[in-house]
Amino acid sequence: MKKYLILLALVCSFSFASANVNAAVDAQGAENFVKNVTADGIENIINANIPQAEKDKRFEKLFNNALDLDFIGQFVLGRYWRTSTPAQREAFIEAYRKLNVQTWSKRFDEFKGRNFIFTGTTPSNTKNQIFVNSEVPMEQGAPAKVVWRVEQKGNSYKVVDIIIENVSLAITARNEYSAYIKKAPNGVDDLIKDLQNKTK
Amino acid sequence: MLRRLLFVALTVISLNVANSSFAAAQSQNFEHENEESTLESYNRAMFSFNNGFNHYVLMPVSRGYRAITNQFVRNRINGIIKNLKEPISFTNYLLQGDLKNSGVVLSRFVINSTLGLLGMFDVAKGWGLHNDVTSFDDTFAKWCIPDGPFIVLPFFGPSTPRATAGMALGFAVDPVYWATYHDANVSAKISYSYSALQAVALMEQNMDMLNDLEKNSVDFYATMKSAYLQNRRNKGCFNDVNSSSNVSYDFDFDMEEEEETIHHELLINTKKTKNKKPELLLAQ
Repeated sequence: MKKYLILLALVCSFSFASANVNAAVDAQGAENFVKNVTADGIENIINANIPQAEKDKRFEKLFNNALDLDFIGQFVLGRYWRTSTPAQREAFIEAYRKLNVQTWSKRFDEFKGRNFIFTGTTPSNTKNQIFVNSEVPMEQGAPAKVVWRVEQKGNSYKVVDIIIENVSLAITARNEYSAYIKKAPNGVDDLIKDLQNKTK
Repeated sequence: MLRRLLFVALTVISLNVANSSFAAAQSQNFEHENEESTLESYNRAMFSFNNGFNHYVLMPVSRGYRAITNQFVRNRINGIIKNLKEPISFTNYLLQGDLKNSGVVLSRFVINSTLGLLGMFDVAKGWGLHNDVTSFDDTFAKWCIPDGPFIVLPFFGPSTPRATAGMALGFAVDPVYWATYHDANVSAKISYSYSALQAVALMEQNMDMLNDLEKNSVDFYATMKSAYLQNRRNKGCFNDVNSSSNVSYDFDFDMEEEEETIHHELLINTKKTKNKKPELLLAQ
Protein backbone atom coordinates (compact mmCIF):
# COMPACT_ATOMS: atom_id res chain seq x y z
CA MET A 1 0.00 0.00 0.00
CA LYS A 2 2.74 2.34 1.04
CA LYS A 3 4.61 1.55 -2.16
CA TYR A 4 1.62 2.58 -4.19
CA LEU A 5 1.31 5.79 -2.29
CA ILE A 6 4.92 6.67 -2.97
CA LEU A 7 4.49 5.78 -6.60
CA LEU A 8 1.37 7.90 -6.77
CA ALA A 9 3.17 10.81 -5.12
CA LEU A 10 6.00 10.44 -7.59
CA VAL A 11 3.66 10.36 -10.56
CA CYS A 12 1.80 13.35 -9.21
CA SER A 13 4.90 15.41 -8.65
CA PHE A 14 6.16 14.53 -12.11
CA SER A 15 2.97 15.45 -13.82
CA PHE A 16 2.90 18.60 -11.73
CA ALA A 17 6.39 19.50 -12.80
CA SER A 18 5.66 18.92 -16.46
CA ALA A 19 2.38 20.77 -16.20
CA ASN A 20 4.27 23.73 -14.80
CA VAL A 21 6.66 23.73 -17.69
CA ASN A 22 3.88 23.69 -20.25
CA ALA A 23 1.51 25.99 -18.46
CA ALA A 24 3.79 28.91 -17.77
CA VAL A 25 0.82 31.11 -18.57
CA ASP A 26 -1.85 31.56 -15.94
CA ALA A 27 -4.89 30.45 -17.93
CA GLN A 28 -7.42 31.80 -15.48
CA GLY A 29 -5.57 35.09 -15.26
CA ALA A 30 -5.49 35.43 -19.04
CA GLU A 31 -9.17 34.64 -19.36
CA ASN A 32 -10.07 37.09 -16.62
CA PHE A 33 -8.00 39.73 -18.36
CA VAL A 34 -9.91 39.33 -21.63
CA LYS A 35 -13.21 39.19 -19.73
CA ASN A 36 -12.39 42.47 -18.04
CA VAL A 37 -11.36 44.13 -21.28
CA THR A 38 -14.56 43.12 -23.08
CA ALA A 39 -16.76 43.95 -20.09
CA ASP A 40 -15.11 47.34 -19.82
CA GLY A 41 -15.66 47.96 -23.53
CA ILE A 42 -19.29 46.92 -23.45
CA GLU A 43 -20.27 48.71 -20.24
CA ASN A 44 -18.21 51.87 -20.42
CA ILE A 45 -18.12 52.46 -24.15
CA ILE A 46 -20.80 50.70 -26.18
CA ASN A 47 -23.61 50.95 -23.68
CA ALA A 48 -22.52 54.23 -22.09
CA ASN A 49 -24.68 57.22 -22.75
CA ILE A 50 -21.94 59.60 -23.83
CA PRO A 51 -21.11 61.54 -27.01
CA GLN A 52 -19.25 59.76 -29.81
CA ALA A 53 -16.08 61.81 -29.29
CA GLU A 54 -15.87 60.65 -25.69
CA LYS A 55 -16.52 57.07 -26.81
CA ASP A 56 -13.68 57.28 -29.29
CA LYS A 57 -11.37 58.63 -26.59
CA ARG A 58 -12.27 55.85 -24.18
CA PHE A 59 -11.90 53.26 -26.89
CA GLU A 60 -8.43 54.50 -27.78
CA LYS A 61 -7.38 54.24 -24.15
CA LEU A 62 -8.77 50.73 -23.82
CA PHE A 63 -7.14 49.73 -27.10
CA ASN A 64 -3.73 51.06 -26.03
CA ASN A 65 -3.91 49.37 -22.65
CA ALA A 66 -5.16 46.01 -23.84
CA LEU A 67 -2.97 45.42 -26.88
CA ASP A 68 0.77 45.02 -27.16
CA LEU A 69 1.12 47.15 -30.25
CA ASP A 70 4.90 47.09 -30.39
CA PHE A 71 4.76 43.34 -30.61
CA ILE A 72 1.90 43.30 -33.10
CA GLY A 73 3.47 45.99 -35.25
CA GLN A 74 6.69 44.04 -35.39
CA PHE A 75 4.90 40.86 -36.39
CA VAL A 76 2.77 42.60 -38.95
CA LEU A 77 5.74 44.17 -40.68
CA GLY A 78 7.30 40.72 -40.88
CA ARG A 79 10.69 40.51 -42.49
CA TYR A 80 10.55 44.18 -43.41
CA TRP A 81 10.88 45.00 -39.72
CA ARG A 82 14.53 44.03 -39.81
CA THR A 83 15.36 46.25 -42.75
CA SER A 84 13.51 49.26 -41.34
CA THR A 85 15.16 52.08 -39.46
CA PRO A 86 14.06 52.80 -35.86
CA ALA A 87 12.29 55.93 -37.11
CA GLN A 88 10.39 53.92 -39.72
CA ARG A 89 9.43 51.33 -37.13
CA GLU A 90 8.11 53.95 -34.79
CA ALA A 91 6.21 55.75 -37.54
CA PHE A 92 4.73 52.46 -38.77
CA ILE A 93 3.52 51.38 -35.35
CA GLU A 94 1.96 54.77 -34.71
CA ALA A 95 0.23 54.82 -38.11
CA TYR A 96 -0.95 51.23 -37.67
CA ARG A 97 -2.21 52.00 -34.18
CA LYS A 98 -4.15 55.07 -35.34
CA LEU A 99 -5.75 53.23 -38.25
CA ASN A 100 -6.85 50.39 -36.00
CA VAL A 101 -8.24 52.68 -33.34
CA GLN A 102 -10.27 54.47 -36.01
CA THR A 103 -11.47 51.28 -37.69
CA TRP A 104 -12.38 49.38 -34.57
CA SER A 105 -13.95 52.28 -32.78
CA LYS A 106 -16.56 52.28 -35.54
CA ARG A 107 -16.90 48.52 -35.79
CA PHE A 108 -17.14 48.27 -32.03
CA ASP A 109 -20.34 50.25 -32.06
CA GLU A 110 -22.08 47.63 -34.15
CA PHE A 111 -21.48 45.27 -31.31
CA LYS A 112 -24.35 46.84 -29.42
CA GLY A 113 -26.65 44.33 -27.77
CA ARG A 114 -24.22 41.45 -28.15
CA ASN A 115 -22.05 39.73 -25.63
CA PHE A 116 -19.09 37.41 -25.33
CA ILE A 117 -19.48 33.93 -23.93
CA PHE A 118 -16.12 32.61 -22.77
CA THR A 119 -15.47 28.96 -23.45
CA GLY A 120 -12.09 28.31 -21.83
CA THR A 121 -8.50 28.46 -22.99
CA THR A 122 -6.21 26.51 -25.31
CA PRO A 123 -2.45 26.31 -24.82
CA SER A 124 -0.16 27.81 -27.45
CA ASN A 125 3.16 26.53 -28.76
CA THR A 126 4.60 30.00 -28.32
CA LYS A 127 6.17 30.75 -24.98
CA ASN A 128 4.17 32.88 -22.55
CA GLN A 129 1.13 32.85 -24.82
CA ILE A 130 -2.30 31.31 -24.58
CA PHE A 131 -5.57 31.36 -26.52
CA VAL A 132 -8.69 32.56 -24.77
CA ASN A 133 -11.74 31.23 -26.60
CA SER A 134 -15.04 33.05 -26.83
CA GLU A 135 -18.24 33.03 -28.82
CA VAL A 136 -20.57 35.78 -29.86
CA PRO A 137 -24.17 34.68 -30.39
CA MET A 138 -25.57 35.98 -33.69
CA GLU A 139 -29.15 36.73 -34.66
CA GLN A 140 -28.97 34.27 -37.52
CA GLY A 141 -26.87 31.17 -37.76
CA ALA A 142 -24.18 29.74 -35.55
CA PRO A 143 -22.34 31.95 -33.03
CA ALA A 144 -19.20 33.70 -34.24
CA LYS A 145 -15.96 32.29 -32.86
CA VAL A 146 -13.60 34.88 -31.44
CA VAL A 147 -10.23 33.76 -30.10
CA TRP A 148 -7.87 36.07 -28.24
CA ARG A 149 -4.18 35.41 -28.34
CA VAL A 150 -2.88 36.64 -25.00
CA GLU A 151 0.68 37.13 -23.85
CA GLN A 152 1.67 37.16 -20.22
CA LYS A 153 4.47 39.37 -18.97
CA GLY A 154 4.94 38.84 -15.26
CA ASN A 155 1.57 39.65 -13.76
CA SER A 156 0.27 41.67 -16.67
CA TYR A 157 -1.41 40.50 -19.83
CA LYS A 158 -1.66 41.89 -23.32
CA VAL A 159 -3.66 40.85 -26.36
CA VAL A 160 -1.33 40.13 -29.29
CA ASP A 161 -3.87 38.88 -31.83
CA ILE A 162 -7.60 38.46 -32.30
CA ILE A 163 -8.82 35.57 -34.43
CA ILE A 164 -12.37 35.99 -35.69
CA GLU A 165 -13.88 32.96 -37.41
CA ASN A 166 -10.39 31.56 -38.03
CA VAL A 167 -9.20 34.85 -39.50
CA SER A 168 -6.24 36.24 -37.60
CA LEU A 169 -6.08 40.00 -37.75
CA ALA A 170 -2.30 39.95 -37.36
CA ILE A 171 -1.75 37.49 -40.21
CA THR A 172 -4.21 39.30 -42.47
CA ALA A 173 -2.44 42.61 -41.89
CA ARG A 174 0.94 40.97 -42.35
CA ASN A 175 -0.07 39.46 -45.69
CA GLU A 176 -1.65 42.69 -46.82
CA TYR A 177 1.34 44.87 -45.93
CA SER A 178 3.91 42.45 -47.34
CA ALA A 179 2.03 42.36 -50.63
CA TYR A 180 1.87 46.13 -50.61
CA ILE A 181 5.53 46.70 -49.77
CA LYS A 182 6.65 44.25 -52.45
CA LYS A 183 4.96 46.37 -55.11
CA ALA A 184 5.58 49.84 -53.65
CA PRO A 185 8.55 51.75 -55.13
CA ASN A 186 9.54 53.22 -51.75
CA GLY A 187 8.60 50.17 -49.70
CA VAL A 188 7.87 50.79 -46.06
CA ASP A 189 7.84 54.57 -46.45
CA ASP A 190 4.99 54.34 -48.95
CA LEU A 191 3.09 52.07 -46.62
CA ILE A 192 3.49 54.46 -43.70
CA LYS A 193 2.33 57.37 -45.86
CA ASP A 194 -0.70 55.46 -47.09
CA LEU A 195 -1.68 54.39 -43.60
CA GLN A 196 -1.32 57.95 -42.37
CA ASN A 197 -3.53 59.19 -45.19
CA LYS A 198 -6.29 56.85 -44.12
CA THR A 199 -6.53 58.40 -40.69
CA LYS A 200 -6.38 62.02 -41.78
CA MET B 1 -29.13 18.52 -69.08
CA LEU B 2 -26.27 20.49 -70.59
CA ARG B 3 -26.04 22.45 -67.40
CA ARG B 4 -25.73 19.25 -65.38
CA LEU B 5 -22.94 18.02 -67.61
CA LEU B 6 -21.13 21.32 -67.33
CA PHE B 7 -21.29 21.24 -63.58
CA VAL B 8 -20.01 17.71 -63.38
CA ALA B 9 -17.19 18.53 -65.77
CA LEU B 10 -16.30 21.63 -63.78
CA THR B 11 -16.30 19.62 -60.58
CA VAL B 12 -14.02 16.95 -61.96
CA ILE B 13 -11.63 19.50 -63.44
CA SER B 14 -11.54 21.55 -60.25
CA LEU B 15 -10.80 18.56 -58.07
CA ASN B 16 -8.08 17.46 -60.46
CA VAL B 17 -6.50 20.88 -60.31
CA ALA B 18 -6.69 20.77 -56.53
CA ASN B 19 -4.96 17.42 -56.45
CA SER B 20 -2.26 18.18 -58.95
CA SER B 21 -1.47 21.54 -57.41
CA PHE B 22 -1.17 19.83 -54.07
CA ALA B 23 1.27 17.33 -55.52
CA ALA B 24 3.16 20.16 -57.20
CA ALA B 25 3.35 22.11 -53.96
CA GLN B 26 4.70 19.06 -52.20
CA SER B 27 7.32 18.30 -54.80
CA GLN B 28 8.47 21.91 -54.89
CA ASN B 29 9.19 21.83 -51.22
CA PHE B 30 6.25 24.14 -50.62
CA GLU B 31 7.35 26.91 -52.89
CA HIS B 32 3.79 27.93 -53.00
CA GLU B 33 4.64 31.54 -53.58
CA ASN B 34 6.16 30.95 -57.02
CA GLU B 35 3.26 28.87 -58.11
CA GLU B 36 0.91 31.57 -56.98
CA SER B 37 2.70 34.39 -58.74
CA THR B 38 1.74 32.90 -62.11
CA LEU B 39 -1.87 32.97 -61.01
CA GLU B 40 -1.62 36.26 -59.24
CA SER B 41 -1.78 38.61 -62.20
CA TYR B 42 -4.90 36.84 -63.45
CA ASN B 43 -6.39 36.88 -59.95
CA ARG B 44 -5.73 40.54 -59.43
CA ALA B 45 -7.26 41.44 -62.78
CA MET B 46 -10.36 39.34 -62.10
CA PHE B 47 -10.57 40.72 -58.60
CA SER B 48 -10.61 44.28 -59.83
CA PHE B 49 -13.20 43.37 -62.47
CA ASN B 50 -15.42 41.85 -59.79
CA ASN B 51 -14.84 44.81 -57.54
CA GLY B 52 -15.94 47.14 -60.31
CA PHE B 53 -18.99 45.01 -61.00
CA ASN B 54 -19.85 45.05 -57.30
CA HIS B 55 -19.47 48.79 -56.99
CA TYR B 56 -21.28 49.74 -60.18
CA VAL B 57 -23.94 47.06 -60.45
CA LEU B 58 -24.47 44.80 -57.48
CA MET B 59 -24.09 47.34 -54.68
CA PRO B 60 -26.41 49.94 -56.24
CA VAL B 61 -29.03 47.23 -56.76
CA SER B 62 -28.51 46.02 -53.21
CA ARG B 63 -28.88 49.56 -51.91
CA GLY B 64 -32.12 49.82 -53.86
CA TYR B 65 -33.27 46.55 -52.37
CA ARG B 66 -32.38 47.87 -48.93
CA ALA B 67 -34.28 51.08 -49.62
CA ILE B 68 -37.55 49.39 -50.58
CA THR B 69 -37.50 46.78 -47.83
CA ASN B 70 -37.07 46.95 -44.09
CA GLN B 71 -35.06 44.63 -41.89
CA PHE B 72 -38.14 42.55 -41.11
CA VAL B 73 -38.85 41.85 -44.77
CA ARG B 74 -35.19 41.16 -45.51
CA ASN B 75 -35.01 38.69 -42.64
CA ARG B 76 -37.99 36.83 -44.10
CA ILE B 77 -36.38 36.71 -47.55
CA ASN B 78 -33.06 35.57 -46.08
CA GLY B 79 -34.99 32.94 -44.16
CA ILE B 80 -36.57 31.58 -47.34
CA ILE B 81 -33.21 31.41 -49.10
CA LYS B 82 -31.62 29.75 -46.09
CA ASN B 83 -34.42 27.24 -45.86
CA LEU B 84 -33.92 26.20 -49.48
CA LYS B 85 -30.30 25.41 -48.64
CA GLU B 86 -31.17 22.96 -45.87
CA PRO B 87 -31.59 19.98 -48.23
CA ILE B 88 -28.02 20.60 -49.43
CA SER B 89 -26.80 20.62 -45.84
CA PHE B 90 -28.79 17.43 -45.23
CA THR B 91 -27.12 15.66 -48.16
CA ASN B 92 -23.70 16.79 -47.04
CA TYR B 93 -24.09 15.81 -43.42
CA LEU B 94 -25.02 12.36 -44.70
CA LEU B 95 -21.92 12.31 -46.93
CA GLN B 96 -19.84 13.34 -43.93
CA GLY B 97 -21.33 10.51 -41.93
CA ASP B 98 -22.90 12.94 -39.47
CA LEU B 99 -26.30 11.37 -38.90
CA LYS B 100 -27.17 13.56 -35.96
CA ASN B 101 -26.79 16.85 -37.79
CA SER B 102 -28.41 15.52 -40.94
CA GLY B 103 -31.42 14.67 -38.78
CA VAL B 104 -31.41 18.13 -37.25
CA VAL B 105 -31.22 19.80 -40.65
CA LEU B 106 -33.96 17.61 -42.10
CA SER B 107 -36.24 18.35 -39.16
CA ARG B 108 -35.54 22.02 -39.54
CA PHE B 109 -36.44 21.88 -43.23
CA VAL B 110 -39.71 20.08 -42.58
CA ILE B 111 -40.73 22.28 -39.65
CA ASN B 112 -39.69 25.60 -41.17
CA SER B 113 -41.16 24.83 -44.60
CA THR B 114 -44.55 24.20 -43.04
CA LEU B 115 -45.01 25.89 -39.68
CA GLY B 116 -42.32 28.44 -40.53
CA LEU B 117 -44.12 29.44 -43.74
CA LEU B 118 -41.46 28.34 -46.28
CA GLY B 119 -38.68 29.36 -43.94
CA MET B 120 -39.83 32.91 -43.34
CA PHE B 121 -39.78 32.18 -39.63
CA ASP B 122 -37.24 29.98 -37.92
CA VAL B 123 -39.67 28.00 -35.76
CA ALA B 124 -37.26 25.09 -35.40
CA LYS B 125 -34.62 27.28 -33.75
CA GLY B 126 -37.05 28.02 -30.95
CA TRP B 127 -37.32 24.28 -30.43
CA GLY B 128 -33.59 23.94 -30.01
CA LEU B 129 -32.82 22.86 -33.58
CA HIS B 130 -30.04 25.23 -34.51
CA ASN B 131 -29.05 26.06 -38.02
CA ASP B 132 -25.61 24.78 -38.90
CA VAL B 133 -24.94 25.02 -42.60
CA THR B 134 -22.62 22.64 -44.38
CA SER B 135 -21.73 22.33 -48.04
CA PHE B 136 -20.04 20.06 -50.55
CA ASP B 137 -16.88 22.02 -49.90
CA ASP B 138 -17.02 21.00 -46.22
CA THR B 139 -17.62 17.42 -47.30
CA PHE B 140 -14.59 17.47 -49.60
CA ALA B 141 -12.56 18.92 -46.73
CA LYS B 142 -13.76 16.09 -44.48
CA TRP B 143 -12.68 13.65 -47.13
CA CYS B 144 -9.23 15.26 -46.96
CA ILE B 145 -9.32 16.54 -50.53
CA PRO B 146 -6.73 19.34 -50.69
CA ASP B 147 -7.86 22.87 -51.28
CA GLY B 148 -5.54 23.96 -54.09
CA PRO B 149 -4.42 27.51 -54.86
CA PHE B 150 -6.40 30.69 -54.42
CA ILE B 151 -8.35 31.66 -57.53
CA VAL B 152 -10.74 34.50 -58.22
CA LEU B 153 -13.79 33.46 -60.24
CA PRO B 154 -15.67 35.89 -62.43
CA PHE B 155 -18.65 37.27 -60.45
CA PHE B 156 -18.39 34.64 -57.71
CA GLY B 157 -15.16 36.09 -56.34
CA PRO B 158 -12.56 34.44 -54.11
CA SER B 159 -12.43 30.68 -54.41
CA THR B 160 -10.19 27.64 -54.65
CA PRO B 161 -10.53 24.62 -56.93
CA ARG B 162 -12.13 22.64 -54.12
CA ALA B 163 -14.50 25.46 -53.26
CA THR B 164 -15.39 25.80 -56.96
CA ALA B 165 -16.14 22.10 -57.21
CA GLY B 166 -18.27 22.30 -54.07
CA MET B 167 -20.15 25.29 -55.40
CA ALA B 168 -20.81 23.63 -58.77
CA LEU B 169 -22.15 20.51 -57.11
CA GLY B 170 -24.24 22.69 -54.84
CA PHE B 171 -25.87 24.24 -57.89
CA ALA B 172 -26.39 20.82 -59.40
CA VAL B 173 -28.41 19.52 -56.45
CA ASP B 174 -30.22 22.78 -55.74
CA PRO B 175 -33.85 21.93 -54.91
CA VAL B 176 -35.07 25.03 -56.73
CA TYR B 177 -33.64 23.67 -59.95
CA TRP B 178 -35.13 20.22 -59.53
CA ALA B 179 -38.53 21.50 -58.43
CA THR B 180 -38.94 23.27 -61.77
CA TYR B 181 -37.06 20.70 -63.83
CA HIS B 182 -39.99 19.43 -65.91
CA ASP B 183 -40.63 22.79 -67.59
CA ALA B 184 -37.54 24.21 -69.25
CA ASN B 185 -39.06 27.65 -69.75
CA VAL B 186 -40.18 28.13 -66.16
CA SER B 187 -37.02 26.51 -64.90
CA ALA B 188 -34.71 29.01 -66.55
CA LYS B 189 -36.75 31.99 -65.39
CA ILE B 190 -36.97 30.79 -61.82
CA SER B 191 -33.32 29.73 -61.62
CA TYR B 192 -32.05 33.07 -62.88
CA SER B 193 -34.35 35.14 -60.68
CA TYR B 194 -33.49 33.01 -57.70
CA SER B 195 -29.75 33.38 -58.37
CA ALA B 196 -30.09 37.13 -58.78
CA LEU B 197 -32.10 37.41 -55.58
CA GLN B 198 -29.51 35.41 -53.71
CA ALA B 199 -26.69 37.60 -55.00
CA VAL B 200 -28.50 40.79 -54.07
CA ALA B 201 -29.55 39.53 -50.64
CA LEU B 202 -26.03 38.33 -49.93
CA MET B 203 -24.50 41.60 -51.03
CA GLU B 204 -27.01 43.55 -48.97
CA GLN B 205 -25.86 41.67 -45.88
CA ASN B 206 -22.16 42.06 -46.59
CA MET B 207 -21.66 45.34 -48.42
CA ASP B 208 -21.10 47.45 -45.32
CA MET B 209 -18.42 45.09 -44.14
CA LEU B 210 -16.81 44.95 -47.59
CA ASN B 211 -16.76 48.71 -47.94
CA ASP B 212 -15.32 49.08 -44.47
CA LEU B 213 -12.60 46.55 -45.25
CA GLU B 214 -11.75 48.19 -48.55
CA LYS B 215 -11.60 51.63 -47.03
CA ASN B 216 -9.12 50.58 -44.36
CA SER B 217 -6.94 48.44 -46.50
CA VAL B 218 -3.91 49.39 -48.60
CA ASP B 219 -4.09 46.24 -50.73
CA PHE B 220 -7.67 45.01 -50.80
CA TYR B 221 -6.84 41.97 -52.89
CA ALA B 222 -4.18 40.79 -50.44
CA THR B 223 -6.53 41.36 -47.52
CA MET B 224 -9.37 39.40 -49.08
CA LYS B 225 -7.11 36.59 -50.17
CA SER B 226 -5.57 36.24 -46.73
CA ALA B 227 -8.87 36.42 -44.90
CA TYR B 228 -10.59 34.05 -47.32
CA LEU B 229 -7.91 31.39 -47.05
CA GLN B 230 -7.67 31.66 -43.28
CA ASN B 231 -11.41 31.38 -42.91
CA ARG B 232 -11.32 28.10 -44.81
CA ARG B 233 -8.94 26.50 -42.38
CA ASN B 234 -10.03 24.24 -39.56
CA LYS B 235 -12.71 22.61 -41.65
CA GLY B 236 -11.49 19.31 -40.27
CA CYS B 237 -10.45 16.20 -42.10
CA PHE B 238 -10.98 12.60 -41.09
CA ASN B 239 -7.20 12.00 -41.04
CA ASP B 240 -6.49 15.03 -38.96
CA VAL B 241 -6.26 14.55 -35.22
CA ASN B 242 -5.92 18.23 -34.36
CA SER B 243 -8.81 19.45 -36.44
CA SER B 244 -10.93 20.82 -33.63
CA SER B 245 -8.23 22.58 -31.64
CA ASN B 246 -6.57 25.93 -32.08
CA VAL B 247 -3.31 24.27 -33.05
CA SER B 248 -3.55 24.95 -36.74
CA TYR B 249 -3.55 28.70 -36.26
CA ASP B 250 -1.02 28.53 -33.53
CA PHE B 251 1.53 29.95 -35.93
CA ASP B 252 4.79 30.90 -34.37
CA PHE B 253 5.10 34.59 -33.88
CA ASP B 254 8.29 34.46 -35.81
CA MET B 255 9.24 37.82 -37.21
CA GLU B 256 11.36 36.46 -39.99
CA GLU B 257 8.94 34.05 -41.56
CA GLU B 258 7.85 34.56 -45.12
CA GLU B 259 4.42 36.03 -45.35
CA GLU B 260 3.09 33.14 -47.35
CA THR B 261 4.03 30.63 -44.69
CA ILE B 262 0.62 30.62 -43.19
CA HIS B 263 -0.84 29.48 -46.47
CA HIS B 264 1.45 26.50 -46.50
CA GLU B 265 -0.27 25.37 -43.37
CA LEU B 266 -3.38 25.02 -45.45
CA LEU B 267 -1.76 22.26 -47.38
CA ILE B 268 -0.17 20.28 -44.64
CA ASN B 269 -0.43 20.05 -40.94
CA THR B 270 2.42 22.00 -39.65
CA LYS B 271 5.67 20.41 -38.67
CA LYS B 272 7.19 23.58 -37.40
CA THR B 273 10.75 24.34 -36.68
CA LYS B 274 11.21 26.26 -33.50
CA ASN B 275 10.81 29.97 -33.76
CA LYS B 276 13.42 32.57 -33.16
CA LYS B 277 12.48 34.95 -30.46
CA PRO B 278 11.68 38.53 -31.42
CA GLU B 279 14.36 39.82 -29.04
CA LEU B 280 16.99 38.13 -31.16
CA LEU B 281 15.82 39.91 -34.24
CA LEU B 282 15.62 43.21 -32.51
CA ALA B 283 19.22 42.85 -31.50
CA GLN B 284 20.33 42.31 -35.07
